[in-house]
Amino acid sequence: MPRLPDPRFAPDCALLVDGRAVPARHGESLAVALVAAGRPLLSRSYKYHRPRGPYCLAGNCGSCLVRVDGVPNLRACETPCRDGMRVETQNAWPSAAHDALGAIDWLAPGGLDVHHMLTRPALVNRVMVGVSRRLAGLGRLPDSAGSEPPPATEERFDALVLGAGPAGLGAAEALARGARRLLLVERAERLGGRLRARLDLPGDPDLSWAEEVASAVERAGGEVARSTALAGLFTDGGTPACLLLARGAPERARLVRAAHIVVCTGGVSSPPAFESGDLPGVFAGRALAVALTEHGVLAGRRAAVVGEGPEAEALADRLRGAGMAVESARGEVARALGRLRVRGLLLRGGERLECDSVAEARPPVPAAEALRALGVPVRWDEAAGAFLPEVDPSGRTAVPGLFAAGEVARAATGAEAADGGRRAGEAALG
Amino acid sequence: MGKEILCACEDVTVEEVRRAFALGFRDLESVKRYTGFGTGPCQGKSCLAATVRELVRLGATPAEIAPFTSRPPLHPAPLGALASLDPEDLPLDPGVPRPPAGAGAPRPAASGPLPARAEVVIVGGGIMGLGLAFELGRRGVSDVLVLERSYLNAGASGRNGGGVRAQWSTPTMVRLGLRSLEIFSRFAAEMGVNVWFRRGGYLFLAPDEEHRGLLERNLAVQRGFGMRTRLLSPGEALRIVPELDPTCFVAASYNPDDGVVFPWPFLWGYAARAEAAGARVRTFCPVEGFDIGGGRIRAVLTPAGRVACETVVNASGAWSPEVARLAGVSLPNRPTRHEILVTEPLKPWLDPLVSALGTGLYFSQSQRGEIVGGMGDPAEPEGVEAGSTLRFLARFSRALTRLAPVTRPLRVMRQWAGAYDVTPDNGPILGAAGPANFLQLSGFVGHGFMMAPAVAELYADFLTGRGKDEIFDRFTLERFSRGDSVREDFIIG
Repeated sequence: MPRLPDPRFAPDCALLVDGRAVPARHGESLAVALVAAGRPLLSRSYKYHRPRGPYCLAGNCGSCLVRVDGVPNLRACETPCRDGMRVETQNAWPSAAHDALGAIDWLAPGGLDVHHMLTRPALVNRVMVGVSRRLAGLGRLPDSAGSEPPPATEERFDALVLGAGPAGLGAAEALARGARRLLLVERAERLGGRLRARLDLPGDPDLSWAEEVASAVERAGGEVARSTALAGLFTDGGTPACLLLARGAPERARLVRAAHIVVCTGGVSSPPAFESGDLPGVFAGRALAVALTEHGVLAGRRAAVVGEGPEAEALADRLRGAGMAVESARGEVARALGRLRVRGLLLRGGERLECDSVAEARPPVPAAEALRALGVPVRWDEAAGAFLPEVDPSGRTAVPGLFAAGEVARAATGAEAADGGRRAGEAALG
Repeated sequence: MGKEILCACEDVTVEEVRRAFALGFRDLESVKRYTGFGTGPCQGKSCLAATVRELVRLGATPAEIAPFTSRPPLHPAPLGALASLDPEDLPLDPGVPRPPAGAGAPRPAASGPLPARAEVVIVGGGIMGLGLAFELGRRGVSDVLVLERSYLNAGASGRNGGGVRAQWSTPTMVRLGLRSLEIFSRFAAEMGVNVWFRRGGYLFLAPDEEHRGLLERNLAVQRGFGMRTRLLSPGEALRIVPELDPTCFVAASYNPDDGVVFPWPFLWGYAARAEAAGARVRTFCPVEGFDIGGGRIRAVLTPAGRVACETVVNASGAWSPEVARLAGVSLPNRPTRHEILVTEPLKPWLDPLVSALGTGLYFSQSQRGEIVGGMGDPAEPEGVEAGSTLRFLARFSRALTRLAPVTRPLRVMRQWAGAYDVTPDNGPILGAAGPANFLQLSGFVGHGFMMAPAVAELYADFLTGRGKDEIFDRFTLERFSRGDSVREDFIIG
């Protein structure tokens, strides 16, 4: 029962994963399809050949890299499924499930001291360097050059809003209302950011608001760019120039300049802070909620939720409502159990939770890289355990023309993010 | 097995971060370099905060956890898409990341107390300075103090592409290159730290007959030293790198004995062995002035105190003119930014470092599997500038995907910049200048790393009266005023 029995979610195509057919729904992400098929194990890790699978399902972490149609190191969570797509797991021999080099992990329980191992004698060192070169790297070279992308476009907008979660939607709404021609950029195929989890937390705007905002943006002469990643904020003689990558084969570069930029890039789920938290089957909590809501996909039958607070509770309810057995990990987690995927959690108190999936529901940390690129200072916040960018209540930063709102500026709830976004949008109207 | 992974991209465990911290790699930039965390496909987004939480638990100070420099691109970007940008439309500006507005983060304190006096003070903890400290120690000079303004590997020694070669155009450079290669090849075994030296060769590509002539002339010089360099046709070059487009060049020269290394551990190795011999290495300790009297430097002034000294060696690379100015000496060095990048890691496919004469493009595959490459920009103005530009991404991607089209889908993970320490004739500046005990060791024009082991030996011999190599006559500061300098023309990556 990993996929809800609903015709909207029923598989309608097949992928070839390491030569075996796996059912999938056209357009859903490869990572979601593989989770639905009960195959979260996608590769072996870089150094210790530990089992690796998707974690954030949002294009942030680097855990779900696979080879697709001859192109290495693609994020499974950002690759839409197509019938007949050839998918190969990476960095494992003969397979991700039975990887001979997985022995490295067992032989080096305390880790490898790569700087000092086998330095002497010289001959041993030379052999070690040769062997280690063969083991290093993830994917193999692409099969071909692929097609040449079209020339990059250079575009100008009045304003640029990066991220279409509640904050980005709020900012876009305010800017569109002020008749600004704006570009609203969203990395995912769908708008809504954290609202896509449909956890319906108090004050959360309804997800339908996202499409209303999109219409308003377009009515004001602007554009909504979905499936478009923010590849960089550069400078162009003092004014920012934003490099965007529109997903596709091949990806297309867009260089966008705008007088005002509102950064609403949200947060990134931290890796689980317990032993073996990197096992496949451990996911960022919101990722599981989105997979369930948008694709009817459950990560398993028994979930353990790590973290406290309204979001963790709503997530547990949501998964339970879909038919999963859900337990909340009360107290500190000592380690995840399981060999190729998670089979349980051991708590510090000795309690053991049986589960086949884990939802890490601690608050994400602000994705402040875009702000840092242009010189917005960040400071370490001990309580949050994260670097917080310096943003004033109106969303202004120290950099003229650059604003920020939402989770990147530490908004705790969807409602706060939407309000913060509106304020930043209004501030950008000047 | 039971490991708590902080950085899932590079498999960095909590235990590894603790070990690094205990070894003295306390600031975030150093922890990143020592453990590798934050250098994988997620570009540090997932692991930065988690690692800092651990460092705070271990007792790191607020200055030590200033976040490491955020490197573009913000999302892995395919070379093909970057090549679709027109570099002519893009500016050569200071680049990103911009320094934080306002006061910025406090600097960590000097890594240890300073002695009241030291026989030799070396300004600059790059490979030149640390290599010299090590070689002095081997010659019995142990009262040495190395002052580094930042963390180890903060300057060009930690920012270069790791290419090491003996394919040069003058006998002097060939000789130094050969000796350095010999030292590089034994470094791990002798110093007890892995440097991942791999003799994959250097493949120089000549785009036209003029450059073929240059390669032929160089070949004659190199053959005189018994080197195995060969001149290849495009077809022969394809046997070494089948992915190249043979219409991009008319000839190639190949020396199978050149190679690549991983630069960072050289500094750790030299520093550790120099300290074991009695030297002191202090990081986060900039030199702010000199106490000069009677035509000599009497003491070096730093925020952590004054150190009386017999001899001062200025080995601060791109910052050498700045340091020399503190002693009233004007050096002709013109530091110039040089940008570089790495792609996602791949299984081994590229053996040599490939260098395309003409465009200045060079690239190799690192031990970790990334393509590491750079390309100088003739329009680059003078100045110590460490920001990264989109223009470089576009120029590099165009050149690389033209020369090796199969790289088009590969993604750029990270870009950064360092400074070439450029001199008017592309030769270094060695020996005394200004105050009688103020010695120069700079001006290696982007090739200091590969020359350092050999130069450090010769410099230590020179300082201890064991012999004066001809480089100390050839590469004086006075040569520029005398007008008898000879220009080195084989400056690439």
